[in-house]
Amino acid sequence: MRLGRTATILLLLTPGIGLIVFFIGAVIYIAIAQSFGYYNLLGESGYSLEFWETLTGRKAYARSVRYSLYVGFWSAILSVALAYPLALWLRKPFTGSLTVSAILKAPLLVHGIVAAFLFLNVISFHGILNQFMVWTGIFDEPRRLQNDDNAIGLLFLQVWKNMPFALLLLTGAVQAISDDVLHAAQDLGAGAWARFRKVIAPLSVSAMQAALIIIFIGALADFTFQTTIGPTNRQSLAQYMTFFKERGRWNDAAVVGVTLMALSLVGAIVLAAAARLIFRGRLR
Amino acid sequence: MLKKLLSATALVALTTPAFAGGHLSWEQMTEKAQNEEGEVTWFVWYFEDRFREFTQQFTDATGIKVIIPDGDHSTNIDKMIAESGRETGDIDVLAYGVDMLPTIDNALFMSLANLPEDAGRISDLVGIDGGDVALAYWGNQTGIAYDPAKIADEDLPQTPEDFAAFWTANPGAMGFNYENGGSGPSFYMNILRTLSDVDFNDGETSPEKLAGIDGGIAFFNEHAENYEITASNADSLTRLSNGEFTMVAAWEDHMAGLQNIGEIRDDLKFYIPEMGMFGGGNYVSIPKNAPHPAAAQLFVDWLTSAEVQTMFNQQFGTAPMHAEADDSAALVSNAMRERQMPWAKKPFRDAVEERFIEDVIQER
Repeated sequence: MRLGRTATILLLLTPGIGLIVFFIGAVIYIAIAQSFGYYNLLGESGYSLEFWETLTGRKAYARSVRYSLYVGFWSAILSVALAYPLALWLRKPFTGSLTVSAILKAPLLVHGIVAAFLFLNVISFHGILNQFMVWTGIFDEPRRLQNDDNAIGLLFLQVWKNMPFALLLLTGAVQAISDDVLHAAQDLGAGAWARFRKVIAPLSVSAMQAALIIIFIGALADFTFQTTIGPTNRQSLAQYMTFFKERGRWNDAAVVGVTLMALSLVGAIVLAAAARLIFRGRLR
Repeated sequence: MLKKLLSATALVALTTPAFAGGHLSWEQMTEKAQNEEGEVTWFVWYFEDRFREFTQQFTDATGIKVIIPDGDHSTNIDKMIAESGRETGDIDVLAYGVDMLPTIDNALFMSLANLPEDAGRISDLVGIDGGDVALAYWGNQTGIAYDPAKIADEDLPQTPEDFAAFWTANPGAMGFNYENGGSGPSFYMNILRTLSDVDFNDGETSPEKLAGIDGGIAFFNEHAENYEITASNADSLTRLSNGEFTMVAAWEDHMAGLQNIGEIRDDLKFYIPEMGMFGGGNYVSIPKNAPHPAAAQLFVDWLTSAEVQTMFNQQFGTAPMHAEADDSAALVSNAMRERQMPWAKKPFRDAVEERFIEDVIQER
């Protein structure tokens, strides 16, 4: 009886979840198989560790992994860190709060490539920023700000684009915390930081985890910002994968793709676990 | 001009006898293309928006609609290969870089022998013979774009040593890309070629052969502080035009096209250094399983005509791919074009690119 019920539920779910599992599973399977030498579109197919061995020995691969993790991690952390105070500020409606909230969320409506080119215009050699800095006398002459080696410009753009998404998730979560709880904490002597650390953060940790994970995965796989304003002396994993794909080297591209998927999974788990451990003191 | 072209086409059509073996005469082909097929799909990976406008002339003249989907170079080629097993594919006419022809199975293309005879057409570009399956329609050349307000013609660097001297005297004044376009790769590969004894025209690759470019790799690392890496062909030219650079690696046709539409300053100039830089162009071919083969042949005939090649030269700054076309709008003289070098052959070229990224870019 119990088995029959489970089977019925699975059958009912199959048209929706089944298709998703099938299509995503097929893509993941092909990528993994290609990374081990199968499905070679232009040459011989067959099991081989050659592609993993060759690529993992490359400086460009190791640097891509480190760089993508750097961008993913800091984009997620900075976006959430910036979104929290804004979410708390907007927790209680006030005159103009709707307008402020709408303006803060406006970047969600701007496509990434458009934002990248706008940003490029602002920081270019003769862009507004350089002109302003020269006018104020802070710079003696225009400076080369685009494609900076530490990806500061890229991180700025990632946070600009992703912070509103974190804000969207966190606003709902902090609004759900009742005033009674916060007042009780205040009565017990908790200051602003303690209220955040011991009440607000633990109660909104699920939204925080969702924001961290989604932003991390998106920024880890960044291609658009990287190819426009990212450093030119290193490649993101998505860029590195495209580099191989454009040369018809599908097996090498698959190695990078599988690495990207694995890092997304592991990184998301680590970030989610760390957030819960730090703010709730336990994993469950 | 178009009337002349159509008259010529009609004349040829009327005087061309039916081909033996059941092939259609050109007249029958034209009629089939116009009355039965009515459209042609051209897979070209660059300037799609501008080609949509340009090919409207073909539509106006023949009534055949030209469809140009968006797609990048390798994706278009991969698509043709992937659907080669289908009886009817999606691609009528495929455009691709001349250096890609040796990497594609030529048996996938149909013969272009049915086209009206025209001795001015080019089917052998930079030593890569298109046989009867490929015709050149776009000639291009890499070189150095420069700002004449900042450097005199007689001071332009011509050799690797000249470039090193320029970099040292003008740190950060020159930029080139290593991806998102071939102008930068052409620049650094010709430096590597000039500083080595390696044969870049031989596609064979080996660790020993790659070691032959050690001197060039050291050259770039030694001067790393004094040149800039840009994000793409377009980024290089935009920053040159904005006054950030004195010179950048560029494509002649790309630069002329941007100048023609006012995207970059029209006082910028272009030259090919004496050490030589890669040039070549693009071929068009018709896959054997093209859905509209007659319209495709009519389109290729139009695209490779002297009239259209002259228009390409005027509007896009290309090197015309027809002996009778006018090339007066080109950015470089014919004498300077003698410095053109054929692109390094694959897979050696890919190996050099990978080594440059690994041993120069990753060291920055």
